[in-house]
Amino acid sequence: MGILSENDAREIRKILADMEGEVTLTIFTQKLECETCPESEMIVSELTELSDRLSMVRINPLQDKGRAEELGVERVPAILVSDGSHARVRFYGLPSGYEFSSLLTAIVDAGRSGDLVESATRGFLDRLGIDLDMKVFVTPTCPYCPRAVVLAHRLAASSERVRAEAIEANEYPLLSTKYRVQGVPRTVINDRYYVEGALPEIHLVQALEKALADEKAEPGEIDLVRYLEPPSEAEAEESGPE
Amino acid sequence: MIDLRLGVVDAPASRTGGEVELLIAGGGPAAWTAGIYAGRYRLDTLILAGHQPGGQLALTHAIENFPGHSNVSGQLLADEMRKQAESAGARVAEDQVESARAGEEGIVIATTSSEYTARALLIATGAAPRKLGIPGEDAFYGRGVSYCGTCDAPFFRDRRVLVVGGGDTAIKEALYLTEYASEVVVVHRRDELRAEPVLRERLLSNDRITMLWSTTLLEIRGDEDSASGGVTSVLLESVRDGSKTTEPIDGVFVFIGWDPATKPFRGLVELTPDGAVSTTGGVRTSRPDVFAAGDVRDTDLRQVVTAAADGARAAFAAYRLLRE
Repeated sequence: MGILSENDAREIRKILADMEGEVTLTIFTQKLECETCPESEMIVSELTELSDRLSMVRINPLQDKGRAEELGVERVPAILVSDGSHARVRFYGLPSGYEFSSLLTAIVDAGRSGDLVESATRGFLDRLGIDLDMKVFVTPTCPYCPRAVVLAHRLAASSERVRAEAIEANEYPLLSTKYRVQGVPRTVINDRYYVEGALPEIHLVQALEKALADEKAEPGEIDLVRYLEPPSEAEAEESGPE
Repeated sequence: MIDLRLGVVDAPASRTGGEVELLIAGGGPAAWTAGIYAGRYRLDTLILAGHQPGGQLALTHAIENFPGHSNVSGQLLADEMRKQAESAGARVAEDQVESARAGEEGIVIATTSSEYTARALLIATGAAPRKLGIPGEDAFYGRGVSYCGTCDAPFFRDRRVLVVGGGDTAIKEALYLTEYASEVVVVHRRDELRAEPVLRERLLSNDRITMLWSTTLLEIRGDEDSASGGVTSVLLESVRDGSKTTEPIDGVFVFIGWDPATKPFRGLVELTPDGAVSTTGGVRTSRPDVFAAGDVRDTDLRQVVTAAADGARAAFAAYRLLRE
């Protein structure tokens, strides 16, 4: 094997053995101006050899512009993970370091039959009146990042209204500058709402639902932290004045 | 060679709640070691590893003082410990304890989504980075203010960054940051370092590091409207003569200590004025069915090896309580 060691392969086989359904990895790579495309392709290709339920579709966006446009894939390398029914769970950049565990989780999730979100979140997704575009900026060395990525991907996998992208911040410096990323994980929703760090599912969903309903909010960027449940009085007292 | 982290984030469905013999709250070396021992004692054991399994250990670039490993990545060591605990029979859920209280059937532990009842509880939740509490710190969090060098160092390639603190963590992180930043300025309130002498030597011989002794940070300033929207300078004060200076800087990494993560356990067990769990005989708390291990307790040395030792002792104490 190339990138995956024998030891890695053995462990990943065990992890993928839990999959119940078929999962497709659609990878967009090109030879021109894409330093991490060859390695990304190798990782995906080696992964698909570790489970019969896993298959790979390779698309070169320079040759197949139509497909890339149709799916809204704007960068390479891109990896889309799904049970074949959608293209809402995405990775941009080489899935190395902790990003690899996020990719494994997305694969296992896509092959799972049970719920990927809490029941309260299900309600929020069912009530959603608009589409959500979630971008989660990460680095491969950030142990907090898979939490934020997996949560966004699970929301996307659970609702047609949500699309979620994990973006390796180092690989797309212009995009990172545009979204003012200087710390990870940073989640940006609809180019307007953002949050630094990995929030637990319930907290993110509650804050986001409040933010979306807030008609008085000023234009421009909004930190979701302001919509988090305020601490109880006892806690506020204990933490003292800031 | 590409580094790949294996593992899967568990789904909400696995956070089922229910009854358990020993519940271990925490996801660092104390919790994993307790899991290894409790599993081998055949206690029905559940580890609630929180949202960031591995704890501080996973954030540590290199561990050089864990016996048997002269240089190992903290993440790798944490992963190995977890695997060992799982193969010993301990179950793991990546759920975070929100509250704990004494119930009729045992300790009732609530997470964001589930409720567990445990006959014994081990608190091994470790500690969270302490904040400075100065103007600009919250406003520029994620925009140049960071508490995680391994996460955010790549954003400061060829930039000038500030490290606040003088302990082992601050010095290790300052050394790690020199791999990216053009210059690392270390600000320390005293005129000597608390850090291990071996780290001190490395720091002082590194030509990318500048020391600002006897200096404190008063304010972090930046430009929220600029392209990067980030930190641009800091206001410093000399402890000696109170003089103030402004230093241009692109990022501020804060490592001034850790606060024990005991919030869910207030009211359940006695805490010290600093917020650590009060212990006697190493791992015993004010309640016979609650134990504490690692950085979360009132200990004089906060290391991987001492946390692991605590975990072993706590599992043994729980075993004796539950089975003898």
